[in-house]
Amino acid sequence: MNHHDGFREFVLARQQALMRAAYLLTGDAHLAEDLLQSVLIKVVGKWPKLSKNGNPEAYVRKALVNQYISWRRRPRPESPSADPPERGASYDEAALDRIVLRQALAKLTPKQRAVIVLRFWEDLTETQAAETLGCSVGTVKSQVHHALARLRALAPELAHLLSDSEIREVAR
Amino acid sequence: MTRLHDALDGIAEEAPLVNLADLAIAGHRRRRRATLTLAAVATVAVLGVATAAVALPEPHGDDTATPRGVDTVPDLPDGKVGSLGHAYKTPCKVDPERRRQPPDCSAVEWRLVTRTGTTYRMPQALPRTTQGRNAPVAISRDGRMIAYYSRQAQAHVVRDLVSGSEVTSSVTVKEERIGVGSMLVVSDDGRHVLFDPREGSKEPGLLIEMRTGRTVPVHGKFETISIKDGVAALVRYVKTDLWLMPVTGGGSPVRFDGVFIMFSELAPDGRTVAAFDFERKGHIKNTLTLLDARTGKILRRVAIRGLPEKGGVSSVSLWRSGSEVTIVHENMGAGTYAVDVNTGRARRLAGYPGKGAHLALPGMAGL
Repeated sequence: MNHHDGFREFVLARQQALMRAAYLLTGDAHLAEDLLQSVLIKVVGKWPKLSKNGNPEAYVRKALVNQYISWRRRPRPESPSADPPERGASYDEAALDRIVLRQALAKLTPKQRAVIVLRFWEDLTETQAAETLGCSVGTVKSQVHHALARLRALAPELAHLLSDSEIREVAR
Repeated sequence: MTRLHDALDGIAEEAPLVNLADLAIAGHRRRRRATLTLAAVATVAVLGVATAAVALPEPHGDDTATPRGVDTVPDLPDGKVGSLGHAYKTPCKVDPERRRQPPDCSAVEWRLVTRTGTTYRMPQALPRTTQGRNAPVAISRDGRMIAYYSRQAQAHVVRDLVSGSEVTSSVTVKEERIGVGSMLVVSDDGRHVLFDPREGSKEPGLLIEMRTGRTVPVHGKFETISIKDGVAALVRYVKTDLWLMPVTGGGSPVRFDGVFIMFSELAPDGRTVAAFDFERKGHIKNTLTLLDARTGKILRRVAIRGLPEKGGVSSVSLWRSGSEVTIVHENMGAGTYAVDVNTGRARRLAGYPGKGAHLALPGMAGL
Protein backbone atom coordinates (compact mmCIF):
# COMPACT_ATOMS: atom_id res chain seq x y z
CA MET A 1 0.00 0.00 0.00
CA ASN A 2 1.36 3.40 -1.03
CA HIS A 3 1.65 5.97 1.79
CA HIS A 4 -0.33 8.43 -0.36
CA ASP A 5 -3.30 6.08 -0.75
CA GLY A 6 -5.24 7.67 2.11
CA PHE A 7 -4.76 11.14 0.62
CA ARG A 8 -5.70 9.90 -2.83
CA GLU A 9 -8.88 8.32 -1.50
CA PHE A 10 -9.82 11.52 0.30
CA VAL A 11 -9.26 13.66 -2.81
CA LEU A 12 -11.22 11.30 -5.05
CA ALA A 13 -14.16 11.40 -2.67
CA ARG A 14 -14.17 15.13 -1.89
CA GLN A 15 -12.47 16.98 -4.75
CA GLN A 16 -15.65 17.86 -6.62
CA ALA A 17 -17.31 19.37 -3.55
CA LEU A 18 -14.12 21.29 -2.79
CA MET A 19 -13.87 22.41 -6.41
CA ARG A 20 -17.38 23.82 -6.26
CA ALA A 21 -16.39 25.88 -3.21
CA ALA A 22 -13.18 27.04 -4.95
CA TYR A 23 -15.17 28.00 -8.04
CA LEU A 24 -17.68 30.01 -6.03
CA LEU A 25 -14.82 31.81 -4.28
CA THR A 26 -12.86 32.68 -7.41
CA GLY A 27 -15.57 32.75 -10.10
CA ASP A 28 -13.05 31.37 -12.61
CA ALA A 29 -12.42 27.74 -13.55
CA HIS A 30 -8.66 28.05 -13.98
CA LEU A 31 -8.15 30.05 -10.79
CA ALA A 32 -10.37 27.62 -8.88
CA GLU A 33 -8.31 24.68 -10.04
CA ASP A 34 -5.06 26.50 -9.23
CA LEU A 35 -6.40 27.39 -5.81
CA LEU A 36 -7.52 23.87 -4.93
CA GLN A 37 -4.38 22.29 -6.34
CA SER A 38 -2.06 24.61 -4.39
CA VAL A 39 -3.95 23.81 -1.18
CA LEU A 40 -3.88 20.06 -1.85
CA ILE A 41 -0.11 20.18 -2.50
CA LYS A 42 0.32 21.56 1.02
CA VAL A 43 -2.06 18.96 2.42
CA VAL A 44 -0.04 16.02 0.98
CA GLY A 45 2.88 16.76 3.31
CA LYS A 46 0.62 17.12 6.33
CA TRP A 47 -1.60 14.15 5.49
CA PRO A 48 -0.28 11.63 8.07
CA LYS A 49 -0.91 14.11 10.89
CA LEU A 50 -4.23 15.36 9.51
CA SER A 51 -5.68 11.91 8.92
CA LYS A 52 -4.79 10.77 12.44
CA ASN A 53 -5.69 13.80 14.48
CA GLY A 54 -8.18 15.91 12.74
CA ASN A 55 -10.89 16.51 10.24
CA PRO A 56 -8.99 16.81 6.92
CA GLU A 57 -11.92 18.28 5.03
CA ALA A 58 -12.40 21.08 7.55
CA TYR A 59 -8.67 21.81 7.30
CA VAL A 60 -8.77 21.89 3.49
CA ARG A 61 -11.83 24.16 3.43
CA LYS A 62 -10.18 26.52 5.88
CA ALA A 63 -6.95 26.53 3.86
CA LEU A 64 -8.94 27.11 0.67
CA VAL A 65 -10.69 30.19 2.02
CA ASN A 66 -7.54 31.65 3.54
CA GLN A 67 -5.42 30.99 0.48
CA TYR A 68 -8.08 32.65 -1.67
CA ILE A 69 -8.13 35.74 0.56
CA SER A 70 -4.33 35.98 0.36
CA TRP A 71 -4.46 35.83 -3.45
CA ARG A 72 -5.27 39.52 -3.82
CA ARG A 73 -2.34 39.98 -6.16
CA ARG A 74 -3.87 37.60 -8.73
CA PRO A 75 -5.63 39.25 -11.66
CA ARG A 76 -9.41 39.00 -11.42
CA PRO A 77 -11.66 38.38 -14.40
CA GLU A 78 -12.86 41.57 -16.06
CA SER A 79 -16.28 42.69 -14.94
CA PRO A 80 -17.30 45.97 -16.48
CA SER A 81 -20.30 47.74 -15.02
CA ALA A 82 -23.23 49.66 -16.42
CA ASP A 83 -26.50 51.15 -15.28
CA PRO A 84 -29.09 48.41 -15.56
CA PRO A 85 -32.28 49.26 -17.38
CA GLU A 86 -35.61 49.25 -15.56
CA ARG A 87 -36.81 45.94 -14.28
CA GLY A 88 -39.63 44.20 -16.13
CA ALA A 89 -41.65 41.00 -15.97
CA SER A 90 -39.75 37.74 -16.11
CA TYR A 91 -39.81 34.76 -18.42
CA ASP A 92 -36.85 32.80 -17.10
CA GLU A 93 -34.84 34.72 -14.57
CA ALA A 94 -32.63 32.08 -13.01
CA ALA A 95 -29.93 32.32 -15.69
CA LEU A 96 -29.96 36.12 -15.62
CA ASP A 97 -29.87 36.15 -11.81
CA ARG A 98 -26.77 33.98 -11.93
CA ILE A 99 -25.06 36.33 -14.39
CA VAL A 100 -25.85 39.39 -12.30
CA LEU A 101 -24.93 37.64 -9.03
CA ARG A 102 -21.64 36.44 -10.49
CA GLN A 103 -20.78 39.97 -11.62
CA ALA A 104 -21.73 41.45 -8.25
CA LEU A 105 -19.70 38.82 -6.37
CA ALA A 106 -16.68 39.74 -8.49
CA LYS A 107 -16.86 43.27 -7.08
CA LEU A 108 -16.83 42.23 -3.43
CA THR A 109 -13.59 42.11 -1.46
CA PRO A 110 -12.18 38.57 -1.10
CA LYS A 111 -13.24 38.48 2.56
CA GLN A 112 -16.77 39.67 1.78
CA ARG A 113 -17.10 37.07 -0.94
CA ALA A 114 -15.77 34.37 1.37
CA VAL A 115 -18.34 35.15 4.09
CA ILE A 116 -21.16 35.06 1.55
CA VAL A 117 -20.02 31.61 0.40
CA LEU A 118 -19.47 30.30 3.92
CA ARG A 119 -22.68 31.65 5.45
CA PHE A 120 -25.15 31.35 2.57
CA TRP A 121 -23.86 28.48 0.46
CA GLU A 122 -22.04 26.28 2.95
CA ASP A 123 -24.63 27.30 5.58
CA LEU A 124 -22.02 27.62 8.33
CA THR A 125 -22.98 29.34 11.57
CA GLU A 126 -21.27 32.60 12.48
CA THR A 127 -19.04 30.72 14.91
CA GLN A 128 -18.05 28.12 12.31
CA ALA A 129 -17.39 30.83 9.71
CA ALA A 130 -15.25 32.74 12.22
CA GLU A 131 -13.27 29.59 12.93
CA THR A 132 -12.72 28.95 9.22
CA LEU A 133 -11.60 32.51 8.58
CA GLY A 134 -9.53 32.70 11.75
CA CYS A 135 -11.31 35.84 12.98
CA SER A 136 -13.86 36.82 15.62
CA VAL A 137 -17.62 36.28 15.37
CA GLY A 138 -18.01 40.06 15.44
CA THR A 139 -15.83 40.37 12.34
CA VAL A 140 -17.91 37.77 10.52
CA LYS A 141 -21.10 39.65 11.44
CA SER A 142 -19.78 42.96 10.17
CA GLN A 143 -18.33 41.40 7.00
CA VAL A 144 -21.68 39.73 6.21
CA HIS A 145 -23.53 42.98 6.87
CA HIS A 146 -21.23 44.92 4.54
CA ALA A 147 -21.20 42.19 1.88
CA LEU A 148 -25.01 42.05 1.72
CA ALA A 149 -25.28 45.83 1.66
CA ARG A 150 -22.78 45.95 -1.17
CA LEU A 151 -24.61 43.25 -3.13
CA ARG A 152 -27.85 45.24 -2.74
CA ALA A 153 -26.14 48.41 -3.94
CA LEU A 154 -24.35 46.72 -6.85
CA ALA A 155 -27.34 44.74 -8.05
CA PRO A 156 -30.70 46.13 -6.89
CA GLU A 157 -32.38 43.64 -9.23
CA LEU A 158 -31.18 40.84 -6.93
CA ALA A 159 -33.33 42.15 -4.07
CA HIS A 160 -35.62 39.14 -4.34
CA LEU A 161 -32.64 36.83 -3.67
CA LEU A 162 -31.70 38.80 -0.58
CA SER A 163 -35.14 39.21 0.92
CA ASP A 164 -35.60 35.78 2.54
CA SER A 165 -36.20 36.07 6.29
CA GLU A 166 -32.98 34.20 7.18
CA ILE A 167 -30.91 36.70 5.22
CA ARG A 168 -32.78 39.76 6.50
CA GLU A 169 -32.17 38.56 10.04
CA VAL A 170 -28.45 38.10 9.44
CA ALA A 171 -28.15 41.48 7.79
CA ARG A 172 -29.57 43.38 10.76
CA MET B 1 -32.59 26.94 1.94
CA THR B 2 -32.68 30.51 0.73
CA ARG B 3 -33.04 31.73 -2.85
CA LEU B 4 -29.51 33.14 -2.55
CA HIS B 5 -28.31 29.63 -1.70
CA ASP B 6 -30.01 28.28 -4.82
CA ALA B 7 -28.47 30.97 -7.02
CA LEU B 8 -25.00 30.31 -5.54
CA ASP B 9 -25.56 26.61 -6.05
CA GLY B 10 -26.37 27.27 -9.70
CA ILE B 11 -23.00 29.01 -10.13
CA ALA B 12 -21.18 26.23 -8.22
CA GLU B 13 -22.74 23.68 -10.60
CA GLU B 14 -20.59 25.17 -13.37
CA ALA B 15 -17.36 24.12 -11.61
CA PRO B 16 -15.36 21.89 -13.94
CA LEU B 17 -14.74 18.24 -13.15
CA VAL B 18 -11.21 17.75 -11.86
CA ASN B 19 -8.85 14.95 -10.97
CA LEU B 20 -6.25 16.49 -8.71
CA ALA B 21 -4.90 13.71 -6.47
CA ASP B 22 -1.92 12.72 -8.63
CA LEU B 23 -1.22 16.33 -9.63
CA ALA B 24 -1.11 17.36 -5.97
CA ILE B 25 1.21 14.45 -5.06
CA ALA B 26 3.49 15.27 -8.01
CA GLY B 27 3.45 18.96 -7.00
CA HIS B 28 4.38 18.04 -3.45
CA ARG B 29 7.31 15.91 -4.65
CA ARG B 30 8.47 18.64 -7.00
CA ARG B 31 8.39 21.19 -4.23
CA ARG B 32 10.38 18.95 -1.90
CA ARG B 33 12.98 18.23 -4.56
CA ALA B 34 13.22 21.93 -5.40
CA THR B 35 13.86 22.86 -1.77
CA LEU B 36 16.53 20.18 -1.30
CA THR B 37 18.44 21.03 -4.47
CA LEU B 38 18.10 24.80 -4.47
CA ALA B 39 21.73 25.45 -3.58
CA ALA B 40 23.01 22.97 -6.16
CA VAL B 41 20.81 24.46 -8.90
CA ALA B 42 22.05 27.96 -8.12
CA THR B 43 25.66 26.85 -8.50
CA VAL B 44 24.98 25.07 -11.80
CA ALA B 45 23.12 28.13 -13.11
CA VAL B 46 26.09 30.42 -12.45
CA LEU B 47 28.44 28.01 -14.19
CA GLY B 48 25.98 27.56 -17.06
CA VAL B 49 25.73 31.29 -17.75
CA ALA B 50 29.52 31.59 -17.82
CA THR B 51 29.80 28.67 -20.28
CA ALA B 52 27.04 29.95 -22.53
CA ALA B 53 28.68 33.36 -22.74
CA VAL B 54 31.81 31.72 -24.07
CA ALA B 55 30.10 29.23 -26.37
CA LEU B 56 27.48 31.45 -28.06
CA PRO B 57 28.29 31.96 -31.73
CA GLU B 58 28.23 35.42 -33.25
CA PRO B 59 25.00 36.31 -34.99
CA HIS B 60 24.93 35.65 -38.73
CA GLY B 61 22.58 36.76 -41.44
CA ASP B 62 19.77 34.53 -42.66
CA ASP B 63 21.64 31.71 -44.35
CA THR B 64 18.74 29.30 -44.69
CA ALA B 65 17.68 28.02 -48.10
CA THR B 66 14.38 29.96 -48.14
CA PRO B 67 14.10 31.65 -51.51
CA ARG B 68 13.50 35.40 -51.43
CA GLY B 69 10.20 36.77 -52.57
CA VAL B 70 8.30 33.72 -51.27
CA ASP B 71 5.78 33.98 -48.42
CA THR B 72 7.89 33.47 -45.30
CA VAL B 73 5.24 33.62 -42.60
CA PRO B 74 6.40 31.22 -39.87
CA ASP B 75 4.32 28.37 -38.47
CA LEU B 76 2.73 28.93 -35.08
CA PRO B 77 5.39 27.68 -32.65
CA ASP B 78 4.69 25.49 -29.63
CA GLY B 79 4.47 27.40 -26.37
CA LYS B 80 3.62 31.01 -25.61
CA VAL B 81 3.02 33.57 -28.35
CA GLY B 82 0.72 36.04 -26.57
CA SER B 83 -2.90 37.09 -27.11
CA LEU B 84 -4.39 37.42 -30.57
CA GLY B 85 -5.65 40.54 -32.27
CA HIS B 86 -7.37 38.62 -35.05
CA ALA B 87 -7.12 35.65 -37.41
CA TYR B 88 -7.83 35.50 -41.11
CA LYS B 89 -8.04 32.95 -43.85
CA THR B 90 -5.92 33.41 -46.94
CA PRO B 91 -8.03 33.67 -50.09
CA CYS B 92 -8.33 31.12 -52.89
CA LYS B 93 -6.28 31.98 -55.98
CA VAL B 94 -8.05 33.02 -59.14
CA ASP B 95 -6.14 32.82 -62.43
CA PRO B 96 -7.05 36.08 -64.26
CA GLU B 97 -6.69 34.33 -67.60
CA ARG B 98 -8.99 31.46 -66.62
CA ARG B 99 -11.76 33.25 -64.80
CA ARG B 100 -14.30 30.59 -65.72
CA GLN B 101 -12.25 27.90 -63.97
CA PRO B 102 -12.97 27.29 -60.26
CA PRO B 103 -10.52 29.10 -57.99
CA ASP B 104 -7.55 27.19 -56.61
CA CYS B 105 -8.15 26.78 -52.86
CA SER B 106 -5.43 24.21 -52.23
CA ALA B 107 -3.16 26.68 -50.42
CA VAL B 108 -5.83 28.31 -48.25
CA GLU B 109 -4.83 28.45 -44.58
CA TRP B 110 -5.66 30.16 -41.30
CA ARG B 111 -3.21 32.79 -40.10
CA LEU B 112 -3.07 34.31 -36.64
CA VAL B 113 -2.02 37.87 -35.89
CA THR B 114 -0.99 38.60 -32.31
CA ARG B 115 -1.74 41.88 -30.57
CA THR B 116 1.89 42.83 -31.02
CA GLY B 117 1.51 42.35 -34.79
CA THR B 118 3.32 39.05 -35.40
CA THR B 119 1.68 36.78 -37.99
CA TYR B 120 1.82 32.98 -37.85
CA ARG B 121 0.51 30.26 -40.14
CA MET B 122 -1.69 27.75 -38.35
CA PRO B 123 -1.64 24.63 -40.55
CA GLN B 124 -3.18 22.50 -37.80
CA ALA B 125 -6.45 24.49 -38.07
CA LEU B 126 -8.54 23.08 -40.92
CA PRO B 127 -9.52 25.95 -43.29
CA ARG B 128 -11.77 24.00 -45.70
CA THR B 129 -13.29 20.55 -45.63
CA THR B 130 -12.81 18.05 -48.44
CA GLN B 131 -16.33 19.03 -49.59
CA GLY B 132 -15.18 22.64 -49.88
CA ARG B 133 -17.03 23.95 -46.81
CA ASN B 134 -15.39 26.67 -44.80
CA ALA B 135 -14.16 25.49 -41.41
CA PRO B 136 -14.16 28.34 -38.87
CA VAL B 137 -11.89 29.26 -35.98
CA ALA B 138 -13.07 31.19 -32.91
CA ILE B 139 -11.09 33.51 -30.65
CA SER B 140 -12.02 34.21 -27.02
CA ARG B 141 -13.02 37.74 -25.99
CA ASP B 142 -9.60 38.48 -24.54
CA GLY B 143 -7.72 36.96 -27.49
CA ARG B 144 -6.11 34.34 -25.29
CA MET B 145 -7.82 31.21 -26.63
CA ILE B 146 -8.33 29.99 -30.15
CA ALA B 147 -10.65 27.10 -31.00
CA TYR B 148 -10.30 25.23 -34.28
CA TYR B 149 -11.09 21.93 -35.93
CA SER B 150 -8.23 19.48 -36.28
CA ARG B 151 -8.48 17.03 -39.18
CA GLN B 152 -5.88 14.81 -37.55
CA ALA B 153 -7.77 14.58 -34.23
CA GLN B 154 -11.22 14.69 -35.89
CA ALA B 155 -12.16 16.94 -33.03
CA HIS B 156 -12.05 20.52 -31.84
CA VAL B 157 -8.96 21.86 -30.15
CA VAL B 158 -8.52 24.90 -27.91
CA ARG B 159 -5.08 26.44 -27.74
CA ASP B 160 -4.17 28.85 -24.94
CA LEU B 161 -1.78 31.26 -26.67
CA VAL B 162 -0.60 32.87 -23.45
CA SER B 163 0.38 29.66 -21.62
CA GLY B 164 0.98 27.56 -24.73
CA SER B 165 -1.21 24.70 -23.47
CA GLU B 166 -3.65 22.89 -25.73
CA VAL B 167 -6.74 20.80 -25.04
CA THR B 168 -8.20 18.42 -27.62
CA SER B 169 -11.84 17.53 -27.18
CA SER B 170 -12.60 13.86 -26.66
CA VAL B 171 -15.79 14.34 -28.69
CA THR B 172 -15.20 13.08 -32.23
CA VAL B 173 -16.79 15.27 -34.88
CA LYS B 174 -16.56 13.91 -38.41
CA GLU B 175 -15.27 16.42 -40.94
CA GLU B 176 -18.37 15.87 -43.09
CA ARG B 177 -20.49 17.38 -40.30
CA ILE B 178 -18.98 20.80 -41.00
CA GLY B 179 -21.60 22.14 -43.36
CA VAL B 180 -22.43 25.39 -45.13
CA GLY B 181 -22.13 28.32 -42.71
CA SER B 182 -20.73 26.21 -39.89
CA MET B 183 -20.09 28.29 -36.75
CA LEU B 184 -17.77 28.03 -33.78
CA VAL B 185 -17.71 29.93 -30.48
CA VAL B 186 -15.27 29.58 -27.58
CA SER B 187 -15.71 30.75 -24.00
CA ASP B 188 -13.20 33.11 -22.41
CA ASP B 189 -11.65 30.36 -20.29
CA GLY B 190 -11.52 27.94 -23.22
CA ARG B 191 -13.58 25.38 -21.33
CA HIS B 192 -16.54 25.45 -23.65
CA VAL B 193 -16.79 25.33 -27.42
CA LEU B 194 -20.06 25.57 -29.27
CA PHE B 195 -20.10 23.96 -32.69
CA ASP B 196 -23.00 24.71 -35.01
CA PRO B 197 -22.67 22.38 -38.01
CA ARG B 198 -24.83 24.47 -40.30
CA GLU B 199 -26.04 27.97 -39.58
CA GLY B 200 -29.74 28.49 -40.11
CA SER B 201 -30.59 24.78 -40.45
CA LYS B 202 -32.48 22.51 -38.07
CA GLU B 203 -29.36 20.42 -37.48
CA PRO B 204 -28.61 20.67 -33.74
CA GLY B 205 -25.44 22.27 -32.43
CA LEU B 206 -23.16 20.89 -29.78
CA LEU B 207 -21.88 22.63 -26.66
CA ILE B 208 -18.72 20.76 -25.70
CA GLU B 209 -16.95 20.94 -22.36
CA MET B 210 -13.41 20.51 -23.61
CA ARG B 211 -11.86 18.78 -20.65
CA THR B 212 -14.53 16.27 -19.78
CA GLY B 213 -16.12 15.76 -23.18
CA ARG B 214 -19.52 16.42 -21.64
CA THR B 215 -21.88 17.73 -24.31
CA VAL B 216 -25.14 19.64 -24.28
CA PRO B 217 -27.17 19.61 -27.52
CA VAL B 218 -28.30 23.01 -28.80
CA HIS B 219 -31.57 23.36 -30.70
CA GLY B 220 -30.78 23.66 -34.40
CA LYS B 221 -33.00 26.67 -34.94
CA PHE B 222 -30.84 28.74 -32.60
CA GLU B 223 -27.63 30.47 -33.62
CA THR B 224 -24.88 31.16 -31.10
CA ILE B 225 -23.86 34.70 -30.24
CA SER B 226 -21.44 34.16 -27.37
CA ILE B 227 -20.51 32.07 -24.36
CA LYS B 228 -19.89 34.34 -21.42
CA ASP B 229 -20.10 34.00 -17.64
CA GLY B 230 -21.28 30.39 -17.88
CA VAL B 231 -24.16 31.24 -20.23
CA ALA B 232 -24.46 30.61 -23.96
CA ALA B 233 -26.47 33.33 -25.71
CA LEU B 234 -28.48 31.79 -28.55
CA VAL B 235 -30.73 33.54 -31.05
CA ARG B 236 -33.53 32.20 -33.19
CA TYR B 237 -34.04 34.52 -36.10
CA VAL B 238 -37.28 35.73 -37.65
CA LYS B 239 -39.39 35.07 -34.56
CA THR B 240 -37.06 36.54 -32.80
CA ASP B 241 -36.12 34.61 -29.62
CA LEU B 242 -33.11 34.97 -27.33
CA TRP B 243 -32.18 32.00 -25.20
CA LEU B 244 -29.66 32.47 -22.42
CA MET B 245 -28.75 28.84 -21.87
CA PRO B 246 -26.50 27.95 -18.92
CA VAL B 247 -23.56 25.84 -20.12
CA THR B 248 -25.00 22.99 -18.08
CA GLY B 249 -28.21 23.20 -20.15
CA GLY B 250 -31.68 24.50 -19.31
CA GLY B 251 -33.30 27.92 -19.40
CA SER B 252 -35.92 29.01 -21.89
CA PRO B 253 -36.15 31.61 -24.67
CA VAL B 254 -37.50 35.14 -24.42
CA ARG B 255 -39.41 36.48 -27.44
CA PHE B 256 -38.72 39.97 -28.72
CA ASP B 257 -41.36 42.33 -29.89
CA GLY B 258 -40.19 42.58 -33.51
CA VAL B 259 -37.70 41.00 -35.90
CA PHE B 260 -34.03 41.62 -35.23
CA ILE B 261 -30.72 40.46 -36.65
CA MET B 262 -27.02 40.74 -35.80
CA PHE B 263 -27.11 40.52 -32.02
CA SER B 264 -24.42 41.70 -29.63
CA GLU B 265 -23.37 39.68 -26.63
CA LEU B 266 -25.14 40.44 -23.36
CA ALA B 267 -24.14 43.89 -22.07
CA PRO B 268 -22.24 44.25 -18.78
CA ASP B 269 -25.53 45.03 -17.02
CA GLY B 270 -26.49 41.40 -17.62
CA ARG B 271 -29.76 42.16 -19.39
CA THR B 272 -29.35 44.44 -22.41
CA VAL B 273 -28.53 43.26 -25.94
CA ALA B 274 -28.05 45.38 -29.06
CA ALA B 275 -29.30 44.29 -32.49
CA PHE B 276 -30.46 45.68 -35.81
CA ASP B 277 -34.10 46.04 -36.62
CA PHE B 278 -34.92 43.89 -39.62
CA GLU B 279 -38.36 45.27 -40.42
CA ARG B 280 -37.78 48.97 -40.59
CA LYS B 281 -36.66 49.49 -44.16
CA GLY B 282 -33.75 51.84 -44.57
CA HIS B 283 -32.86 51.58 -40.89
CA ILE B 284 -31.06 48.25 -41.06
CA LYS B 285 -27.65 49.77 -41.52
CA ASN B 286 -27.65 52.70 -39.21
CA THR B 287 -30.16 52.21 -36.42
CA LEU B 288 -29.21 50.06 -33.48
CA THR B 289 -31.95 48.76 -31.21
CA LEU B 290 -31.36 48.08 -27.53
CA LEU B 291 -33.45 45.21 -26.18
CA ASP B 292 -34.22 43.93 -22.70
CA ALA B 293 -33.18 40.27 -22.54
CA ARG B 294 -35.50 39.64 -19.58
CA THR B 295 -38.74 41.00 -20.98
CA GLY B 296 -38.11 41.05 -24.71
CA LYS B 297 -39.10 44.72 -24.81
CA ILE B 298 -37.44 47.40 -26.89
CA LEU B 299 -35.55 49.80 -24.64
CA ARG B 300 -34.65 52.37 -27.29
CA ARG B 301 -33.41 52.90 -30.82
CA VAL B 302 -30.16 54.70 -31.53
CA ALA B 303 -29.25 56.19 -34.89
CA ILE B 304 -25.56 55.57 -35.57
CA ARG B 305 -23.47 58.51 -36.76
CA GLY B 306 -19.97 58.44 -38.19
CA LEU B 307 -19.90 55.21 -40.23
CA PRO B 308 -18.51 55.22 -43.79
CA GLU B 309 -21.19 55.87 -46.40
CA LYS B 310 -20.14 52.92 -48.55
CA GLY B 311 -20.53 49.34 -47.38
CA GLY B 312 -22.61 48.13 -44.47
CA VAL B 313 -22.64 46.70 -40.98
CA SER B 314 -21.91 42.97 -40.95
CA SER B 315 -22.15 42.22 -37.23
CA VAL B 316 -22.52 43.54 -33.70
CA SER B 317 -20.28 41.97 -31.09
CA LEU B 318 -18.58 42.87 -27.81
CA TRP B 319 -19.46 45.56 -25.31
CA ARG B 320 -16.40 47.65 -24.52
CA SER B 321 -18.16 49.20 -21.52
CA GLY B 322 -21.71 49.71 -20.35
CA SER B 323 -22.20 52.41 -22.99
CA GLU B 324 -20.12 51.27 -25.99
CA VAL B 325 -20.75 48.29 -28.21
CA THR B 326 -18.49 47.14 -31.05
CA ILE B 327 -19.80 46.73 -34.58
CA VAL B 328 -18.05 45.42 -37.69
CA HIS B 329 -18.50 47.42 -40.88
CA GLU B 330 -17.44 46.06 -44.26
CA ASN B 331 -16.34 47.94 -47.33
CA MET B 332 -13.41 46.50 -49.31
CA GLY B 333 -12.29 44.87 -46.06
CA ALA B 334 -13.59 45.05 -42.54
CA GLY B 335 -13.30 47.72 -39.85
CA THR B 336 -14.39 47.73 -36.23
CA TYR B 337 -16.19 50.70 -34.67
CA ALA B 338 -17.21 51.46 -31.09
CA VAL B 339 -20.74 52.86 -30.98
CA ASP B 340 -21.87 54.93 -28.00
CA VAL B 341 -25.38 53.61 -27.33
CA ASN B 342 -26.40 56.89 -25.70
CA THR B 343 -25.32 59.28 -28.45
CA GLY B 344 -25.05 56.93 -31.46
CA ARG B 345 -21.59 58.26 -32.25
CA ALA B 346 -19.29 55.68 -33.89
CA ARG B 347 -15.51 55.84 -33.61
CA ARG B 348 -13.15 53.70 -35.63
CA LEU B 349 -11.13 51.15 -33.68
CA ALA B 350 -9.23 49.10 -36.26
CA GLY B 351 -9.17 48.23 -39.94
CA TYR B 352 -8.54 44.90 -41.63
CA PRO B 353 -8.08 45.79 -45.30
CA GLY B 354 -8.75 42.94 -47.68
CA LYS B 355 -9.75 40.55 -44.90
CA GLY B 356 -13.49 40.92 -44.76
CA ALA B 357 -14.61 37.52 -45.98
CA HIS B 358 -12.94 35.21 -43.49
CA LEU B 359 -11.89 37.30 -40.57
CA ALA B 360 -12.07 35.99 -36.99
CA LEU B 361 -12.17 38.65 -34.29
CA PRO B 362 -12.02 38.13 -30.51
CA GLY B 363 -15.38 37.25 -28.98
CA MET B 364 -17.22 36.86 -32.26
CA ALA B 365 -18.74 33.64 -33.51
CA GLY B 366 -16.34 32.20 -36.11
CA LEU B 367 -17.86 31.67 -39.55
